[in-house]
Amino acid sequence: MIALLGLVLSAGFGQDRLPPVPPDLPSWIRAKGMDELYYKSAPYNWSINRIPKFARDMYATGVGHSMAYEALASGREAELETTTFERINRILKNPPRLPVDEMALSPTFVRKYGYLEKVFDWAHTLHFQTIDVLAYPGWSDSRKEQELEELWSFYQSEPYALTGLPMNMEYLDSFPYSKGFRQKYPKVNGLFWGYHWLQTVNYDMLYRVPTADQAAQYEVIGERYREVELYDETRDFMPMTAELSPRFAKRFPQLANAFDNLHMLHDNVNDILSQPGLTDLQREQQIQIAIYRVLDSTHRGESEDTLRPNSLHDHRHPPSMPGMGMMVGSDEDEMYMSGMGWMNMSECGHCSVPMPEEEPWGATVTADGWTMSVRCLMCARDMASETPGRAIIRAATEDPKKLLILVSDEEGNWKPNLPNVVFLEKFGEHPDCSGWSRAFTNDSALKQYLVANPEYAGMPGLNLSAWSKLNQGKPDTYRRIDRPNPYKRGGNK
Amino acid sequence: MKFHNLFVVALCFFTASITSAHEGDCPYCKLKLVQNTPEQDNEVVLRFGNKKIEYRCIFCVFKDQKRYKGDLVVYAPSEKVGEPVILKRTDGKWTAPEGAVFLNSFKKHVDCAALSRAFSSSAAYEAYVKKNDLKETKAFTLLEFIDFVVKPAK
Repeated sequence: MIALLGLVLSAGFGQDRLPPVPPDLPSWIRAKGMDELYYKSAPYNWSINRIPKFARDMYATGVGHSMAYEALASGREAELETTTFERINRILKNPPRLPVDEMALSPTFVRKYGYLEKVFDWAHTLHFQTIDVLAYPGWSDSRKEQELEELWSFYQSEPYALTGLPMNMEYLDSFPYSKGFRQKYPKVNGLFWGYHWLQTVNYDMLYRVPTADQAAQYEVIGERYREVELYDETRDFMPMTAELSPRFAKRFPQLANAFDNLHMLHDNVNDILSQPGLTDLQREQQIQIAIYRVLDSTHRGESEDTLRPNSLHDHRHPPSMPGMGMMVGSDEDEMYMSGMGWMNMSECGHCSVPMPEEEPWGATVTADGWTMSVRCLMCARDMASETPGRAIIRAATEDPKKLLILVSDEEGNWKPNLPNVVFLEKFGEHPDCSGWSRAFTNDSALKQYLVANPEYAGMPGLNLSAWSKLNQGKPDTYRRIDRPNPYKRGGNK
Repeated sequence: MKFHNLFVVALCFFTASITSAHEGDCPYCKLKLVQNTPEQDNEVVLRFGNKKIEYRCIFCVFKDQKRYKGDLVVYAPSEKVGEPVILKRTDGKWTAPEGAVFLNSFKKHVDCAALSRAFSSSAAYEAYVKKNDLKETKAFTLLEFIDFVVKPAK
């Protein structure tokens, strides 16, 4: 009778279009019982606690996930935007000091969908251990990078591992139930995408950044997370790792892709659980199929060369960004970023000149919820100065082992991590800007550069105060990509 | 304002917006910034410390001013190319050059860049109103303009 009622309710939903259960669904997905996996044993575990505010916000994301899933799995979706939202929000504003066992908070969800919890839990472990490696003060950058490769292998050794191949996000968000949750429950969906913003923006905050300079950045990022990103109901699509941590995503595409595939699985599950008209069996099957789509085992033996456009096995990526699948409306390197519009990932976000392929790699700017790659210090400073609010610049210096971190206040006054930093800025043609706009760890390094590059001979080094006051205005090379927002039917925002 | 005149003004702004460099979105209204043309300045620039932030119109600046804690300078495009009306907020108090007047007569926000503007004098304001055939407009002083803009919506 209940099944019949389900069929009647789903008549307008198009259940005949629901994806069928694949014949090669892994057997563990149907197995009952728990499978507790734990961290790879390592000295860096729990280094996240070196940045206490960040750690607490991250721990609270787990609570938020669990409370929402428990409400969905126990038939309380009508309370999601009110009672459940308020309960979660109280936790987000008073985050726990220790990680909370998600299964203790969502017993109904785990009882019904334990196989899904295994996938989530294992991927969340990867999230946290990646952070721990990058926040660990005991190793060099190269040792950390080596460990991240090993951590990836460790993760892949379990059947619950998600694929590190790029997946076509438009395809993964195109099923009969897709997009329903964000439309029906915008407040709680905003929380989910806020968590995923935090879980993706943090990697460039940590990657190759001296551990002593990581917490200062979180003052800016944490404020943005708590005050804006958690409550943003206007974002067009979930945050992507390459969008918010482009350097990390380029270096570790398999990790970036796995995180994005995890977050898309969250969106699929939210859509399935909140879709009216599905029977319990249909719900269970669709969740199993959603897991199957992004599992590593489903794509074993495939590579980025496996080109079946707009399908399950579409592993294309933008040429300049291996750590991201193709997005709605993507064309080669062009993608639509919420809050920024159309951007070309191979170009400087400020002057539109292609990013340098050799050292120095340039800089990134994090402001107003976005992170952009830019060619030089001038582009970074001017882009930040055009944007209201606090900002972070991470920039190359003459020493590949020393990253310059600048954190600004609301008025654009910068604080550096390198006390003797000195700048060169001899304004000229933008295509050469990475030559005449640079940062040096000290005056002597600048002098060496001037000797090696006589075209800049006689140029004075600028201290931070003098450099901060400069603004070269709009680059004449800037090119806006004037295309409509692909997430909004009928045109631009 | 007659529809065709408004259309011509709007078309002029739109054309500018797709041919000029470095367009972003207004931090307040989220519409595209309107670029300068050889005939008329349109870029409203707010200076806050080392920040130099562009807005679509002066209405947007005053609507968004609360986010800035400190002194501000606003370069409001005027009737003369390259000669903005400079507005200052010092210790919370706004000032404008003597004789400056302000227009704020848009019905839809998409028209704000054309219809929320500063002028160096009443004569310049009258000339703009006449040229664009604007009806039922009023020349505001700065304080009247601010009061009009920040008052709660009915």
